[in-house]
Amino acid sequence: MKPKILSYRRNYKLIAAFVVLITVVLVFALLVSFRLTKEMVQNEFSAAKVDVLEKTMQPFNAFFQNKIPEISFYQGFLDSASAADYAQGVLKNYPFVQRIYFYDAQISNRDLADGLKASNLSMGLKGLYQFGRNIGPDSVVLFTAKKPGSLSLADGDEFNKVGIKLASYLSTVDTAEVLSGEKLFNIFYNISNSRITYMNVPRRDDIKTYKALMLKKLPPSPFFEQDVLSFQLDASKLHIRNSHPELYQNVEIKPLAFDPVLDKPHLISTDIAMPSAFSNYKLYFSSSKAFVNKEVSRRFLPVGLGIFLVYGILLLLVYQIARNLKANQKLFSLQYDFINNFTHEFKTPVAVIKIAGNNILSAKELSDLERIRYGKILDEEADKLNDLMNKLLSFTQIENKSIKIKSEEINLEVFAQNIVDAFQLKYPDYDLQLEVGVVKTFRSDPVLLSSLFYNLIENAYKYSPAGTKYLKISIFKRKKNMVFIFKDKGIGIAKEELKNIFEKFYRIQNRYNQQGSVGLGLAFCKELVTFMNGSISVKSKPGKGSVFEISLPA
Amino acid sequence: MIGWIKKYSYISVLFLFACTGEQKNKVLPVEAFFANTHQFNYRISPNGEMLCFLRLADGKQNLFVRATTDSVAQQLTFLTDISVRSCAWAGNKTLLCIKEKDSLNRFSAFLIDVDGSNLRELKTKANTKVNVLDTRVHDNTVLITVNEENESLFDVYRLNLSTGEKSIYVKNPGNIFTWYANSAGEVNLALGGDGVNETLYYRERKKTDFKPLATNNYQNTLEPVCFSDDGHCIYALSNLKRDKLALVKLDCRTGEEKQLLYENPEADILEVMTSEKDKKPVALSYEIEKRTVKFLNAQTGDMFRQINEQLPGREIQIIDKDSAEQRFIVRSFTDKNPGAFFVYHVADKKLDRLSAVNPRIDPAKMCEMQAITFESRDGLQLHGYLTLPNGSNNKKLPCVVLPHPGPSLRNVWGYSPEVQFLANRGYAVLQVNFRGSSGYGKAFLNAGSKEWSNKMQHDIYDGVQWLVQKGVVDPDRIGIFGYGFGGYSALCQVIQYPQTYRCAASYSGYINLFSYIKGFPAYVRPYKQMLTEIVGNPEKDIEYLKSASPVFQVDKIKTPLFIAQGGKDSRVNVTETNQFVKELQRKNVPVEYMLFENETQLFKDNEHKLEMYRRLSAFLEKYL
Repeated sequence: MKPKILSYRRNYKLIAAFVVLITVVLVFALLVSFRLTKEMVQNEFSAAKVDVLEKTMQPFNAFFQNKIPEISFYQGFLDSASAADYAQGVLKNYPFVQRIYFYDAQISNRDLADGLKASNLSMGLKGLYQFGRNIGPDSVVLFTAKKPGSLSLADGDEFNKVGIKLASYLSTVDTAEVLSGEKLFNIFYNISNSRITYMNVPRRDDIKTYKALMLKKLPPSPFFEQDVLSFQLDASKLHIRNSHPELYQNVEIKPLAFDPVLDKPHLISTDIAMPSAFSNYKLYFSSSKAFVNKEVSRRFLPVGLGIFLVYGILLLLVYQIARNLKANQKLFSLQYDFINNFTHEFKTPVAVIKIAGNNILSAKELSDLERIRYGKILDEEADKLNDLMNKLLSFTQIENKSIKIKSEEINLEVFAQNIVDAFQLKYPDYDLQLEVGVVKTFRSDPVLLSSLFYNLIENAYKYSPAGTKYLKISIFKRKKNMVFIFKDKGIGIAKEELKNIFEKFYRIQNRYNQQGSVGLGLAFCKELVTFMNGSISVKSKPGKGSVFEISLPA
Repeated sequence: MIGWIKKYSYISVLFLFACTGEQKNKVLPVEAFFANTHQFNYRISPNGEMLCFLRLADGKQNLFVRATTDSVAQQLTFLTDISVRSCAWAGNKTLLCIKEKDSLNRFSAFLIDVDGSNLRELKTKANTKVNVLDTRVHDNTVLITVNEENESLFDVYRLNLSTGEKSIYVKNPGNIFTWYANSAGEVNLALGGDGVNETLYYRERKKTDFKPLATNNYQNTLEPVCFSDDGHCIYALSNLKRDKLALVKLDCRTGEEKQLLYENPEADILEVMTSEKDKKPVALSYEIEKRTVKFLNAQTGDMFRQINEQLPGREIQIIDKDSAEQRFIVRSFTDKNPGAFFVYHVADKKLDRLSAVNPRIDPAKMCEMQAITFESRDGLQLHGYLTLPNGSNNKKLPCVVLPHPGPSLRNVWGYSPEVQFLANRGYAVLQVNFRGSSGYGKAFLNAGSKEWSNKMQHDIYDGVQWLVQKGVVDPDRIGIFGYGFGGYSALCQVIQYPQTYRCAASYSGYINLFSYIKGFPAYVRPYKQMLTEIVGNPEKDIEYLKSASPVFQVDKIKTPLFIAQGGKDSRVNVTETNQFVKELQRKNVPVEYMLFENETQLFKDNEHKLEMYRRLSAFLEKYL
């Protein structure tokens, strides 16, 4: 196993790889989802036809399930007039019914001229009537019993079909049983191409009577009324309800044999056979490819956008991570510089102390002058070290917020004058001006405040060329804040540097900071001011000087 | 004698059900009201020494006999597959019984000796019905009628009591539907009809032909009650040339009305009690609000007073008597009391209790039925009955309207299991004798013709409004329930007055009048033409019949419905009912549908009946 390298690692390659990966995934996801959407639309294209068929057949189903069985409610008592009423109702409400034939029938065991005979049972016609939208009153009657023998074979056909069904049912019926729905459908309906013929369902007792009439030799019976209605339907009059206009451009009723593949190859099409009396027809659905593709695009759009959104969020995260990495790296190098500088700053006093120590060690005897000189050097250099360490320590303390702000009454004039006097002693060539406004006292932490003063005064001295070492300190109250202005005539700060000067370990590269500074000063001031809930700002012109303004809450 | 019991058959049917009672105001289970009667159909032997009756054994009604003075009963039949429908004495040693409809769709009969031996089944064809015409023994034979030759015509046969063989006695000429036998065992009087007209036929001797005596259309009634002692006169109920059914004496040779015995200006005579010994009527009853008995001789009046002394406050009915008229079988009843059967000994004025109609019911916990009278919107005076639940303040009660079946039957004052069942569940029960009901004269009866969905329904509704105005019922909690025509009325009411009713229940209610007209079985076909006048002509009145048939009016029904139906009901085509229910469900009308495939109009299987009433009870509770 390789030892872990505990060094700062750059991971830009990793990030790049990640970006490439999610981009590949993006492309893949887009492709797959597009194909799925397309497939879904295609599936729906063939599945939704059932729905259209169902909606289209709704009026027919109502007609078939409600209106036709209603005939039975009349129990065979319909005559030409009441049948006409019924027929008008049907023709009005169900446009697909083209014509209605009404066979007014009678059942008995007597002989008949026109009708059907099964064993002893005869099913005769009293009349045959037709009703339609364009049938004049004189063509309603197709046949009446008053003119026997005039019934045409074609007209009698539908009647014969249901008659035979009834007869075959009667010959085997178990009259003790209740008629099931299935039997009802098989016996009393005759459904063929576009035609439904229905005979009213006799009551149980009637069926018994009919059976007896059919199978037994009985004296001539009365006539029992039965109604047979035959409906001629027109599939083309069915109202197509395209419940999926987004899928189907065209829905048409076509004959079952219709096949358009050769004529219109650019069409996507499907079909479904129609039920019941319309079994010779189908619903034919077609759409152009462009139409279907439009639907695919319409559905794909939100999916695609969704995928892009996720991709965008991922990219944003990557960017944030990269930025953090960069910031960390910069900090790392600043800290590295700091250690370099710091070590360097320690070196000078340590070297001086070492030389002084060596000189004292190697001297045979020390004159008073020498002793005082070395003593002073050692003392001064130790102070320097102590000062450096204090700075570092207090800086860390403030960073960690481990000190508390004291609040004491400070006489600003005395306070500032003391500091100025101290600096005058230290740097006799320093021209320090102090101007204190009306306000004399101020509540704050004197130690922190003096730190600010020391730093700024020291900086102004350090960054001023010899001969222009000048600083004017103004103190006054502005609104609720105490303002401290430090104006020098130093080297100034370039505009592009201004935003960095309050950062830790930042140091303007120039000839003045070769010694005694580690780039902590201003950052330290900034931390202090922020810690005291105030603000610090700077205006500067290179070569002319800088103005630092500190504002603290009074 | 049988005739006047028939007249009251509506009550008898209701009395078939029995009930139990336990605590005051406690809701009794359905079984308490509608369980099968345990013991009934008491008949006394001609010599007055023996009683026969039917009792439930192994789930079926079986024949039992006992001595009149000894309560130890002996079981004679041990049927487990079919019930005995009725029993009668044919002399002192033999019993003639009719069984319920069997698998061949026939009501067959058998003879059995009083000691339980010598069972003789009558040989009859499928789809036939045996009726008892006269059980007085002549030449070891009694008279029965059977429709063996033609399903719609009953011929008279003599039944040999020794062999159980029947021989044709009087052949039906083709239009007779009721035969009458005199005390000599001759059948010289008959009622016939051709559809609309009803004719009373008479012949002086067996050899001569029947001659029409009086012909009436169906609106008039001339119904023989008994023969008089002079041989050629009869007592009959007649409303010829008068509105109310009156008791008259008629000369059969001339057809002349010789004497008016009694006529009530307000009501038809409902029952007539006769004395075979004296060959004349002895008492009659009519009912305007409550049953009123009128005595035609002092002896009978005394007897009733004697019985009432021992049974104060009870209504008394004569069920049977011996030939010497010394021992009578009577039953008692009140509105709260289903009553009991007794033997009354004329000689020592002693009343022996036989059995309670329902031994489990406590009359004190049943509800009082009060007669009401109100005026219809067109000024007709209508009678009815109102039963209020016990322990209520008689204000804003939930109400169930209970239209009677028929429609030409009527509600009477007396114990009704259905009424008590509903009242016991806290409902005020309203019964209206709407126009078209019998008992109030022929004008009132005929006022219902072709008014089934119109004025008859208005009368019911007017009754409801009258109650609402009196503040007795809560107008927001009214339901309606009925059987047969009553069920039809329930449907008509919710079609016409959807705002008034919260729910409606129909038990074998007619839903299609076309099917109803067609539904009359072959043996009542003579009535067909008459029906078309009462109900409507299915060929000419198609529009009216459509508007009067609920099956055509599905669109107007919004009220929750309860429909109980037998699959073999001849008045209702069950295919139509299925269709009707399907359509209602499609329209999202709540429908509770009970279909019993093998039941006819009135449910025969008591379990089905109980189930129906149980669900009805839950249905009413849900909506009221």
